[in-house]
Amino acid sequence: MSTDEIPKIQKIVSVAWPSFLVAGVATVLFFTSFDPREFLAPTRFAGLSRLGAYSIGFFLFWLVGFASSALTCYFRRTCDDCNDDNPAD
Amino acid sequence: MNDSNSSLYAKRQKIYPRQVHGLYAFWRTTGVVVLLGLYYILPWVKWNGEQAVLFDLPARKFHLFGLTLWPQDFIYLALLLILAALTLFFFTALAGRLWCGYACPQTVWTEIFMWIERKIEGDRSKQIKLDKQHWNRKKILLKGSKHVIWIVFSLYTGLTFVGYFTPIAELTYSLLHWTLGPWETFWIFFYGFATYGNAGWMREQVCIYMCPYARFQSAMFDKNTLIISYDKKRGEPRGSRRKSADPKALGLGDCVDCTLCQQVCPTGIDIRDGLQYQCIACAACVDVCDEVMEKLDYPKGLIRYTTENRLQGKETKILRPRVILYGVLLASLTGILLYSLATRIPIQFNVIRDRAQLYRTADNGMIENLYTLKIANMDLKDHLYRIKLSGPDGLALRHRRDRIKVPAGELIELPVTLQIRPEQIARPRVTISITVTDSTDSKLSKTVETSFFAPVRRHAN
Repeated sequence: MSTDEIPKIQKIVSVAWPSFLVAGVATVLFFTSFDPREFLAPTRFAGLSRLGAYSIGFFLFWLVGFASSALTCYFRRTCDDCNDDNPAD
Repeated sequence: MNDSNSSLYAKRQKIYPRQVHGLYAFWRTTGVVVLLGLYYILPWVKWNGEQAVLFDLPARKFHLFGLTLWPQDFIYLALLLILAALTLFFFTALAGRLWCGYACPQTVWTEIFMWIERKIEGDRSKQIKLDKQHWNRKKILLKGSKHVIWIVFSLYTGLTFVGYFTPIAELTYSLLHWTLGPWETFWIFFYGFATYGNAGWMREQVCIYMCPYARFQSAMFDKNTLIISYDKKRGEPRGSRRKSADPKALGLGDCVDCTLCQQVCPTGIDIRDGLQYQCIACAACVDVCDEVMEKLDYPKGLIRYTTENRLQGKETKILRPRVILYGVLLASLTGILLYSLATRIPIQFNVIRDRAQLYRTADNGMIENLYTLKIANMDLKDHLYRIKLSGPDGLALRHRRDRIKVPAGELIELPVTLQIRPEQIARPRVTISITVTDSTDSKLSKTVETSFFAPVRRHAN
């Protein structure tokens, strides 16, 4: 399947949406086990509210999931796709 | 999302579902009113003077009608989620995608958004005409007011959503006084934007491309599952005819090919092509086809709720291994959850040793170890607890302060010093246990083991 056929918005959504779902689950599991106020207390983020920590945590998880899904997409390219990028003279 | 409709996976044709009336439309509307009513009213319901349903994230406590759950009670929440999933499987095996058609938030909010759209832009044909029309004052006014109402409604939805996680009374107060915290504001807009996008723009694409349940629901299906199906044997060959005409004489089936079943479909499919992944089983086509059949004096049910077995003239079995298995799992998990909730001991007790030093020797020669006792009263009333020690003889709390009052739903960190005379401790490390017990109810008790350190004794020879 040629990658040209897939609209760009689809590529972005297909990376962003699954990582959003996983980030939600990861946030719940992580912050149920660890209280951000406790583990942030000795750091310079001690003033951050719990809600703020949860929110930032969620977006960090999302970012990690996004990076992973994006790499999967990137490495899915076949040898032919890669060769097409650098056509031999 | 733009006018070229190149959104997401397939080139999207905008769908204009026609409004339906009928039995199933009535039930769907009832579902919308009840579920949305619950959603918007529930955060305002009080229970013993507190918000009845509050997943208080800033305080790390969940309040459910008087029951307070702590992060340590995560198992109950996990069980509850597993129960919800099993219930979904059970009903899917029995009656197909009931969830999608009547209860899913995507369906429910889309219904409300379409209702607003119809009130402003008019019915299906008017909407199509308006979209084709060139931009003029009237079109700007209609489209603009629709989006303004959608956005206001979405933001209110977002506010309500955040109200499940921080006390809604305080939230509304700070909104009115313009002192809303940054994160609350952010999540109100985030959820509001998601509502506006999903129910206003994405609609059926959420079900088709984004919903995990839609992808795996077919795994719960079998030939005895209730589905919405067109009766091909009765309907074909389809064709238009006059009301007075005898279809048999014309060689036609009962389907008059009015295409209304397609026009009402929120996912834009033709149910006559058979069971499709896109079908959310909303039964809009059943309602509209029944209306047509009634007008023609044909029997209702050309499109109807049925099972694959019945369509093939076989019996439908309700009790079958799949259903029984889900039922048994559901019943036993419910039992486990209720039992464990009923026997839950509403006290959490942890002991943390002082990290700075293993032991110290006091001026009077006593060996001392420092601990922090963390006592959480997870009950709804205050408790007076008694601290008891078990270990070598002579081990005691300094100052004999062995009573501590913990108010309902509070966590108290109590620094304590345990001491012992050096001659009463034989080894440099002994295991001791500390117990907190309610002063009136001895069953309300938790014991934690920890270590007590002492200097290595050098025996004089």
